[in-house]
Amino acid sequence: MFNLKKLKFLQFLISQKPLKGQQSDKGQGDKRHGLTANLKRNITILKDNLGTSGDIVYHEFTMGTEGRPDASLIYVDGLVNKTVINEFIINPLMLESRSVSEKCGIFPNYNIDVIKNTLISVGGIEKVSTFEELTDSCLSGDTVLLINGLTEGLVISTRGWQTRGVTEPDTEAVVRGPREGFTETLRTNTALIRRRIKSTNLTIETFTIGQQTKTDVAVVYIKGIVNPGLVKEIKKRLKSINTDAILESGYIEQYIEDAPFSPFSTIGNSERPDSVAAKILEGRAAIIVDGTPMVLTVPLLFIESFQSAEDYYSRPYYVSIVRILRFVSFFISIFGPGVYVALVSFHQELIPTPLLITFAAARAGTPFPAVVEAIIMGIAFEILREAGIRLPRPVGTAISIVGALVIGEAVVSAGLISASMVIVVALTAIASFVVPPQADVGGIARVSMVFLGGTLGAFGLMIGFLGGLIHLCTLRSFGTPYMSPLAPLKPLDWKDVVIRFPLWTMITRPSSMGWNNPQRQEIAMMPAPPQDGEESGPAQK
Amino acid sequence: MEHRRKLFITLVLAITLLGSSCWDRRELDDLAIATAVGIDQAEDPNKLLMTVEIILPQNVSTPGGGGGQGPASLNIQSQGTTPFEAAKRLTFESDKRIYFAHNPVLIFSEEMAKKGILPAFDFFIRDPEPRRTAWMLVAEGKAQDLINVQTILDPITGLYIEQLIESTGAASQIATLMVQGFLERLMSPTTAPYCSIIRIKGKENNKSMELSGTAIFKKDKMVGKFDYKEGRGLLWVLGEVESGIITVPCEKEGNIGLEIIRADAKITPAIIDNTLKVIINITEEGNLGEQECPIDLTAPEAWQSLERKQAEAIRQEVLAAVKKAQELNADVFGFGEAFHRKYKALWKEQLKNNWDEFFPDLEVEVLVEAKLRRTGTTTKPAVPE
Repeated sequence: MFNLKKLKFLQFLISQKPLKGQQSDKGQGDKRHGLTANLKRNITILKDNLGTSGDIVYHEFTMGTEGRPDASLIYVDGLVNKTVINEFIINPLMLESRSVSEKCGIFPNYNIDVIKNTLISVGGIEKVSTFEELTDSCLSGDTVLLINGLTEGLVISTRGWQTRGVTEPDTEAVVRGPREGFTETLRTNTALIRRRIKSTNLTIETFTIGQQTKTDVAVVYIKGIVNPGLVKEIKKRLKSINTDAILESGYIEQYIEDAPFSPFSTIGNSERPDSVAAKILEGRAAIIVDGTPMVLTVPLLFIESFQSAEDYYSRPYYVSIVRILRFVSFFISIFGPGVYVALVSFHQELIPTPLLITFAAARAGTPFPAVVEAIIMGIAFEILREAGIRLPRPVGTAISIVGALVIGEAVVSAGLISASMVIVVALTAIASFVVPPQADVGGIARVSMVFLGGTLGAFGLMIGFLGGLIHLCTLRSFGTPYMSPLAPLKPLDWKDVVIRFPLWTMITRPSSMGWNNPQRQEIAMMPAPPQDGEESGPAQK
Repeated sequence: MEHRRKLFITLVLAITLLGSSCWDRRELDDLAIATAVGIDQAEDPNKLLMTVEIILPQNVSTPGGGGGQGPASLNIQSQGTTPFEAAKRLTFESDKRIYFAHNPVLIFSEEMAKKGILPAFDFFIRDPEPRRTAWMLVAEGKAQDLINVQTILDPITGLYIEQLIESTGAASQIATLMVQGFLERLMSPTTAPYCSIIRIKGKENNKSMELSGTAIFKKDKMVGKFDYKEGRGLLWVLGEVESGIITVPCEKEGNIGLEIIRADAKITPAIIDNTLKVIINITEEGNLGEQECPIDLTAPEAWQSLERKQAEAIRQEVLAAVKKAQELNADVFGFGEAFHRKYKALWKEQLKNNWDEFFPDLEVEVLVEAKLRRTGTTTKPAVPE
């Protein structure tokens, strides 16, 4: 739909000006070069590459006693675990090497393998020979060891920085279920998933994206369950990202989503390891981005917004009622004010007489038409909501008091807005929080529905509803129809849509996910007390 | 090219879909909701007088809101040669548009009803706004006087009348009909329409209203009236008796009240020995509701005799209604339609055009099968032995 000419012009602009990242990297030639045997020269090149930032430490020392080679440790202060460096790198190299070397004769015939294999007692050491690898790992929190006379350096894993602990996520709270949430550290997050799925098939593939940020991105899936085509497609899309910064998983989402012009998100996100694990087990793939607790899951289905982790931990009966409630709330949050406006300004005959009289009594004397009232109240609510999120906590209470008094009470008693409209807007506001993943869409759709309902009546609402439905049916998320299993109809997957069937009936994984490995469990799993003649538990007399 | 076609299709869709939509937006506060419509004969014989009760929402008391001072509704009037003209002229008096969609009752004065309501009736069928679910009523006296009565039970007269009609099922002695039902009967060649009659009760400052019977129409003209007994007779035949009390005398003195639980009826037309005959089968079930005499009615013989008495009482009610209808020559029971369904050829050849001659002499046989089910929470009479 984009004008092609404009796109070409953009490309022309880009070709004239290289991306900032590439421009600022000085000494590109040096970076690609391998290490030299001269430590001094290596350090100079490194300093040129890394710059002279205060947090980069160049620690020069001599290994062993006199006459032994000079060495240098380079690391970023704050990203490394100092204890590890002191105890297990510097200590062995400077002190213990003396006794070792005399007995074993490491020096002067030292080489990189001997040092790597016998001296440094840290897990995770790699040999590197280019400056590029060196700087990258240094900036990720590893420590680089360079030794005079060797053309290879060692990258020692010493990552250890201040992190937030694993805490209960603020979003997706549950009453019954684990309290763990993802953190900002990629490794912790992958560990949280692996702790739940102790399978050899659990695969974690890591990429680095972002020229400046060099953010670690991991794709997590279960080999054998996931559709191989899905993984291929994810990798393809991730590799096509060429930008300077990935600061949050939202960046990734916006670069790889299927429908960038749709208000509906086609990529799911979750802060809960248990729900991400469950999604992986159904055949989805997760994308974990370093630096954010929000983990992406693909493909996303529309109905996933109405599912909560707790649905599967509680018994199915009440859960099914709550599911229906969520669907109803979603409809209310979109159509509430629109329907009210349409009824009050077009279709008064549809309202039962006593209710109409009540509405008329509430509306008597208010200055604005219903549609204007709805827009005013909608804007007021959005302002309150936004203010409530952005304001510092102590001020937040003031907002709620002012909001409740002004919006709830004063506008009605002053005769500016009818009481019934306040009720409708309040109900809609509450309903919109029942389905948090679709709250954004709810806001946009609600406004459109007020306009359609206020200008075209129920007819406009029908146009809006059908338009939305058609749009939803055209959406795809990584090859999966967004409305599946509703459209295309997949009856086998309906066990987890409106009614949550008991777990022992969920024999197959969702077919919408590609069905690489359909069967999830045995067929006859329904629990039942032992029949007569069968072996029973405690003896009964 | 592809681009243009898409644009074209989008434009066509937008114009055809949006252009045909609801253009008649009207705010709720610009509407005067009509809750009763009365049609009277105006002084000028060519004109009619329309009385409309409209709600004053600001005066309607709402819980918590209090509600304003003054009456909850207002009556406005206008004259016109037709109801539509009169309705449009109502705006001379009202600053809001009169909104008929919620009108629950349509009241014609007795004078109008006897003259024929057809000219005034058409507007309420043809116009999309007034509903056919409004109740048809005939007022004894003038409709405007009736609407002007300040009812105490419900401050809005129209809603009060609606409630009166909707609770007639408790006694089942008054036949009620909505505009739709009235229209269906009006358009039938033989079946006569009917509707409830309402009148003012009490004097001067203590006025109230009551349903006083059933008006029987011949075509669009009111020809007579069924009293309570005949009214229930009509409802028995139509199978519309919901509840009520059948009173039968005891052996010696006092009465026994039997509550009707359910009833059904079947009309069977027949031609026996070249005469037309209608057999009405009524099945009824009742409970013993009250008794004044000290007899133990739970004894099987007493019980069976009571059932027989009950059946006879029902039969008398039906026969009274049939007799009255035949006197008025108004086929409110729909016997004609029954013959039409069963004897199509005969109907076309002879009956259809001469039904008015056949109906008064129609032989009617009433067969009642009445059962008694329960005695209530006590088996013994509450009378000293």
